[in-house]
Amino acid sequence: MALNPHKAARLRRNAVLYVAAAILLLIWVVPIAWAVVVSLKTESEVLAYPPQIVFHPTLENYRDALTGSFSILSSFVTSLILSSATTVLTILLAIPAAYAFARLRLPAKKPLGFYTLVTQMIPPIGLIIPYFLILNKIGWLDSYQGLIVVFLTFSLPFAIWLMVSYMEDIPREMEEAAFLDKANRFQTLWHIILPQVRGGIAVTVIFVFLNAWNEFLFSVQLSGNHVRPVTVAMYNFVSVEQTLWAKLAAAALVAMLPMIVIGVAAQKQIVKGLTIGAVKGGGRR
Amino acid sequence: MKTGKGGLFQKEENFAALLVAPALLVLILTTTFPLVYLIWNSFQNINLAMPFMNSFAGFDNYVQMMSDPNFWHSLELTAIYTISSVALQVVIGLGLALLVMQIPRGQGVFRVVAILPIVLAPVVVGLFWRTLMLAPNFGLIDFAVKALGLGAVNWLGAPTPALISVIMIHTWQWTPFAFLVFLASLASLPVDVYEAARIDRANAVKRFIHITLPLIRPALVIVMIMRSMIALSAFAAIFAATRGGPGTATEILNLYAYRTSFVELNFGYGSALAVALLVITLAVSSVLFAMRTARVR
Repeated sequence: MALNPHKAARLRRNAVLYVAAAILLLIWVVPIAWAVVVSLKTESEVLAYPPQIVFHPTLENYRDALTGSFSILSSFVTSLILSSATTVLTILLAIPAAYAFARLRLPAKKPLGFYTLVTQMIPPIGLIIPYFLILNKIGWLDSYQGLIVVFLTFSLPFAIWLMVSYMEDIPREMEEAAFLDKANRFQTLWHIILPQVRGGIAVTVIFVFLNAWNEFLFSVQLSGNHVRPVTVAMYNFVSVEQTLWAKLAAAALVAMLPMIVIGVAAQKQIVKGLTIGAVKGGGRR
Repeated sequence: MKTGKGGLFQKEENFAALLVAPALLVLILTTTFPLVYLIWNSFQNINLAMPFMNSFAGFDNYVQMMSDPNFWHSLELTAIYTISSVALQVVIGLGLALLVMQIPRGQGVFRVVAILPIVLAPVVVGLFWRTLMLAPNFGLIDFAVKALGLGAVNWLGAPTPALISVIMIHTWQWTPFAFLVFLASLASLPVDVYEAARIDRANAVKRFIHITLPLIRPALVIVMIMRSMIALSAFAAIFAATRGGPGTATEILNLYAYRTSFVELNFGYGSALAVALLVITLAVSSVLFAMRTARVR
């Protein structure tokens, strides 16, 4: 039986939509895919003209980026320490504060909430200048504690606001039931509230970790030979080795691998975090 | 209520104060205290290259700023960079979201692809574009443009193309953010409104202007706020791609304040420039927030 004209028109329309969407999609796929291709080439193949699509892929650059002369492993570990410590501290501080903002009677709640929101809007350049002078004075340049303190400036306000929006969604009846059971306030927070916002905590952890891992302005100025996160290592690599693009691509993809894995695996949570921010306001990303 | 039972922190206000105190204390120490120090510094002459010249400057730094052509130039670039990149992100992001909403299957692929640019570090994005995409001859885009016979463009080496390039890089990285937010926002719209409109024989354009646009207005404004804040403070991708160059062709205020402080070591004037950016950021966000709460029509 032949397609009826209505159905044929719909199929045609869908085909046009898919082609248009696919072309747009390529704009975002191609640069990343090209970086992967380049990372599998030798340096001489990278500088062949015209650019080659067909070549013998090699993992040599990845070997170099991990264990070879251009190893970024130590920077990788540094980023891991910085981002994990920032995340743990942020969560420990943000969750109780968010609970109080979302659920409890708190003196001066409005101005305090507004204050938290405004701290999030300070341009990083306005903080890096005083921090450089302060950390220089107390000898915390090129130190873990120095960078972690600075990272709190953008992670904490963001985390508080993200958590507030999750806490607000918990049904009040649950807390009231806990009170009737004579649970004290700490027990209520720990046993009733926290399990309800596990999803929100996961989203917050992901965003805080990601923002800390990708941070560059503070890192490039406040880090050094001792504490050097991956973003700074990448930048230095290009400044020194202007043309070793295959090695750059491999090292950068290794440095970004945790973010790509988190991005794909936690895609739903990230979209949720983005949209909550977009509905309720706030968020540095 | 349950006040007065089981110790001091059973009283709600006390308990709440106890919970917010650590976070607020950390915020005051890590953000407000440095900020006060920044403002204080903006009234000083602080030059790390000439520490013996350090002194109180009063409003000198701000007076200097008003007659500094570099400042006005960087301000103009900041406006161009922010307005054009935010406008592009919103228009392309919304267009793509409307398109993908029409697709019966495979929306998931778009969501995954859209996540990738967002999770990459801006400095890596800037480095990739500077080398793999835009480098003369060997960069993919430069090669493609030449192969198509569109002529040679000095992407990052000539002033106007460099400015367009850094705007393009920023737009490339952050349009997926707008796209994802709009997609979620469109997906949450009530279907019955559309059906009523369809029965009324409203065409697609009319439906978009009179139904979709007002409904997604909150998301639209919030995306504009968030993206403007980020664009005003954009640093890593520009720094990696052009370092503000050639000359000062891509040196937005943020990068100018950085260079003044950390390259010329003039921390007093650099602080004043950073205060200017702070004031602009707060002004822009309050205007946009006013738009958000303003009543429609």
